[in-house]
Amino acid sequence: MSTYVYGITRASHPALPEQMGGVGDPPQPVYAIKTGELTALVSESPENLRPKRRDLLAHQSVLSEAGAQGAVLPMRFGSVSTDDETVKNVLAEREKHYLERLDALEGKVEYNVKATHDEEAVLHQVLATDSELRTLNEANRAAGGGTYEQKLALGERVVAAVQQREKADGLLVRQALEGSAADTNPGPESTGWLANVSFLVERDKSADFVEAVDALQREAPHLVLQVNGPLPPYSFVE
Amino acid sequence: MSVVPAQQGGGGGGTSGLYDVLELVLDRGLVIDAFIRVSLVGIEILKIDIRVVVASVDTYLRFAEACNRLDLETGAKKPSGLTDITGDMMEKGASGKTKGALSGAAETISGAFQQAREESAQSKPRARRTTTRRKEEQE
Repeated sequence: MSTYVYGITRASHPALPEQMGGVGDPPQPVYAIKTGELTALVSESPENLRPKRRDLLAHQSVLSEAGAQGAVLPMRFGSVSTDDETVKNVLAEREKHYLERLDALEGKVEYNVKATHDEEAVLHQVLATDSELRTLNEANRAAGGGTYEQKLALGERVVAAVQQREKADGLLVRQALEGSAADTNPGPESTGWLANVSFLVERDKSADFVEAVDALQREAPHLVLQVNGPLPPYSFVE
Repeated sequence: MSVVPAQQGGGGGGTSGLYDVLELVLDRGLVIDAFIRVSLVGIEILKIDIRVVVASVDTYLRFAEACNRLDLETGAKKPSGLTDITGDMMEKGASGKTKGALSGAAETISGAFQQAREESAQSKPRARRTTTRRKEEQE
């Protein structure tokens, strides 16, 4: 029977609630494998484990629960060891390294910030700051929308201006918030936000971080900001 | 702005907004060579949702039309116009729910997924809203 690994904590980490269920249906009970100064939070891995909603949620829930009690190194979803013995060996081999990471992450949580433009607001901005675009737009409007070519010409320039703004605003988001964070890492890029950045924040300073986001929102009301956190420090384990 | 608080009591994890942090669960986190990784083939909930503006004829036309429709009266009074937008969002968010207690976690999760499903059911790409759960209190 293979072993599903959720995360790594210090051996002194408080135990999880007994009824904590992990991946699988029915949920497999989560237990601790201790060796030296480290503990791995694991459960039996169901046959044919797939990234289903239920299992992703279980992974996240176990780490949330553990993270509330102290530093945890979250595994990426779907890490399966052939058996408990292999987990012990891994912990023993890399004990020093994992302890260092746990020290570095103690008392810290991850906040993920994503940003998009409010389309109407950004178009207002683009037109407000570029008189040529305004003139083009007015001409098209006066002509009942303009010809296909006129629309293309206007649209192309507007798109270029919006893209430029996306780039600038992506930087703005990062710069506005990194001062309130201990560390910063870009999020996975595939989802196409103008900014998708993870911040490592001291838990005691979470309120300051959220306040910095609020301030950014006031300063840049054309941004749609989405903040997720506090999270286990997924982006800061390496 | 929408803040999705995870758990009250300063928990380490965001159960409430899993849908929005899925990519972190799947793409970040510690990887150990000695372990096998479950195949992500067939993953059913990963959203690849290109929202940034991509240069194409379709986009040009769409933006030209959007500019054409734009209410420039409001544009002239940009600050108030923008304030309205933000105000709307806050209102929407306030009606959203925030559950922090551990006991409510499962319910919150299913709520988030429900919302996520509803969102993806909307076919108009630009009409998608973010999961607007306004921060109520970081208690």
